[in-house]
Amino acid sequence: MKRLILEMGMGVDLYGGDYTKAACRAVRDAIGHSSLSLFRSCGFSHREMQVKVTIGVQEPGKVDADAVAEQLPRGNPVVTLVRGGLNVEDTEHGDTMVIAAASVEAFLPVDADAWKISVPSDDG
Amino acid sequence: MAKTRMALEMGMGSSLRSGDYTRAAIRAVEDALWRNSISFAEAFGFDKSDMLIDISIGVQKPDLVDRDAVKAVLPYGNGEVKLLEGGLDIEKPDGSGVTIMANAAIIVSFDMERVEASGSGATKPDAQTQGAEK
Repeated sequence: MKRLILEMGMGVDLYGGDYTKAACRAVRDAIGHSSLSLFRSCGFSHREMQVKVTIGVQEPGKVDADAVAEQLPRGNPVVTLVRGGLNVEDTEHGDTMVIAAASVEAFLPVDADAWKISVPSDDG
Repeated sequence: MAKTRMALEMGMGSSLRSGDYTRAAIRAVEDALWRNSISFAEAFGFDKSDMLIDISIGVQKPDLVDRDAVKAVLPYGNGEVKLLEGGLDIEKPDGSGVTIMANAAIIVSFDMERVEASGSGATKPDAQTQGAEK
């Protein structure tokens, strides 16, 4: 399996202190700014794709990994939760703003020997 | 197969105070590029310099964007920059000008093709495939 792309995103939950919400938003932010056109143009199937998601939040134990996995339409994502992200305390109002960092990696079994760069033709 | 689209990356950039369309466009391109890390060249055994990069910029006044400055953001690959009417200008409440939003779409392609007859009987590569190997 070869990694084709790493997508990065950030998500926040401003008032609820909900790590799962922040993580889901981070994943959507990560995947929403790019599109892998090569499935269509090179004839790969989405079923061959493997997706690895890593979420960084200050309290990884409070993230619902299944809810995070549901944000991805395909690729049977494997979700890993680690300590990371950032919390911003509002001491005046006793509230915490939760920031999640998400990485989404897509892997595909690409056979490099099956592809080559086209040689410019002389009659072009 | 020729020019083959591998990915599309999208980004947004702004110029808040200086009214600089080029700066907003550059930030949009940086946003699009630095949110993702693409490893197509490694995965397919190509050279990073084989990448063909088509940048489209949408701003309200495309004529004011410095095309070469936008192209200079690219770390490698052959870039083409298309400037289109788009993006968004937002009037400042005090009437002192506009806040600029630029949209960027970046298409990453390779001029590539499948290696013919790989693994099927014909083991002797012809002159063309030999030439393509480094």
